[in-house]
This record gives sequence, structure tokens and C-alpha cells, in this order.
Amino acid sequence: MSKKREIQSDAELVGEIKHGSSRAMEEVVRRYSNKVYNLAYHLTRDSAAAEEIMQDVFLTVIAKVGTLTNEAYFSTWLYRVTTNAAYGFLRKEKKFSDQTPVDDIDQEVQTSYDWSDLPDDVLLSEESKEVLRKSIDTLPEAMRTVVIMKDMEGLKNEEIAEALSISVPAVKSRLHRGRLILRELLSGYFSRKYTDSSGEDE
Amino acid sequence: MNCKLCSALFQEFLEKSLCEEVITELETHMKTCKKCRVMLRTYTLTITLSQKVDPPCCVSTDKIDRLKKILLERFFTKQSAQEPSVR
Ligand SMILES: [Zn+2]
Repeated sequence: MSKKREIQSDAELVGEIKHGSSRAMEEVVRRYSNKVYNLAYHLTRDSAAAEEIMQDVFLTVIAKVGTLTNEAYFSTWLYRVTTNAAYGFLRKEKKFSDQTPVDDIDQEVQTSYDWSDLPDDVLLSEESKEVLRKSIDTLPEAMRTVVIMKDMEGLKNEEIAEALSISVPAVKSRLHRGRLILRELLSGYFSRKYTDSSGEDE
Repeated sequence: MNCKLCSALFQEFLEKSLCEEVITELETHMKTCKKCRVMLRTYTLTITLSQKVDPPCCVSTDKIDRLKKILLERFFTKQSAQEPSVR
């Protein structure tokens, strides 16, 4: 006799939802609500919007789960629906940045100030977090999304590629360029703050 | 190995997807190139900071409960629409 309460795979749960199991639906909510909410929140930076998106995403699951042909791809489908909903919100709020991608970061002019030795309380201060948050927001949308999905949400390159309908190399390239820009902006911030001798704290 | 190629490989290096040979070349370059050493350290730290800037939060249980309620209502509406003869 097999034990029914083993951890079920997403594919199994999706199969059960298709057959009308509300218990499977609840399990999917338990498993993914935080992930969906966090991704939506980081993309929109708006908790009310994130909550609304989370609700819409799961309603979409109910409405469209029947059209999902490969049940193993459930999570990436979920991330895609979430990302699209977040884009929809940003577009509506006109927060969608359509800047041209910063393709040509010249390695030669990169700041070489070494801020890696700064103590943790400086690195992780509210101020430097705010600088990073704002820096992430200035990234071109295509890079920003990938950086958020990978470095903030910890998704795999393959999952991001699938969710955004782009190739894995494209994910990697956007990620790398995004990180280089962020590194550069942080370097500028830390070097201005910690190499300037006209500091206020004597 | 030059600086440009070196920094282009950081991502693969951190994901441990480079072959031994390239890793050796990269490390040899960095031994003599302070700029790339600093670049790699601060690149790595940028990723660490991104992970910490807005740690994932949990949706409150009452929000989840409200969500479940809405979903279940929709769920059963959809099902009864699909099969007119509900038990
Ligand atoms: Zn170098």
C-alpha cells in the first residue's frame, strides 16, 4: 500500500487540479504563494500590487491550468504569469522603463576602488541597501527582471529563461551586464563615501 | 588571458562551470592583476548584497486564507459550470 501523503511533485498536483482537486490547489497555494508574492513585490516594489498579482496569478492557474501541456513546467509557467502581471502593473503605472540597454560597459573605465574590505555594518547599512535598491531600479527592464529573479529570488537560469521566453545564454548575458552595472554604481557610491577625506565624522 | 576576458568569465567562474584549464588561466591572471582581483571580489559582493537587500518576506496567514477562500469559490464555480449535474 503506498503512502498518499508523500511530498507530491508539481506535476502530480497539477494533474489533480485538472481533475478538480481543491486540496491540490491549496497545496499549490501553500507551496508557491510566498514565491509569487516576493517576485511580484520585487518587480513592482508595491505590496498592494503584489498581493493583487498573487491573487490574479492563482486565479489564472484555475482558469488556464487545463491548457498547460507539460505539467513539469508548472513553476516556470507560474513565474511567467507573475512576471507578465507585474509588467502589466508597471506599464499601467507608467513605471516601465524602456531605456536602451547599457551594452557597452567599458571594462577599462571600471572603478577599481576595493570596497570588499569594508565592515559588514557599512556594507549592509540601510543606506547602502537603499543605494542598491535604487540602482536596481535604474537598470533597463530586461536586465532588472533577470537580476531580481536570479539574485533576489534565487531562481535557476533555466527557470528564468523559460519564464521570460529567452535563451539561457541571453539570461546569463543580461545578468552579467546587470551585475557589472550594479557593481559599478556601488563602487562609485562606496568610493565617494569612504575615500573622500572631507568626511563629516571627525 | 586579458582583463576583459577575465571579467567576462566571472559569472561562469562563480557558477563553477569553467573547465580546469580556464580556471588555472584565470587564477594565474588574477595573481598578477590587482584590478581583476578587486573586480571579482566586488562583483561577488554585489551578488551577496542583492540577496540581502530585500530579503524574501512571508505573506500573512490571513491574506493567504482570504486568497484560498476566493480561489475555492472560483474553483467550484468553474467546476459546476463544466459539469451541470453537480452532486
Ligand atoms: Zn586583469
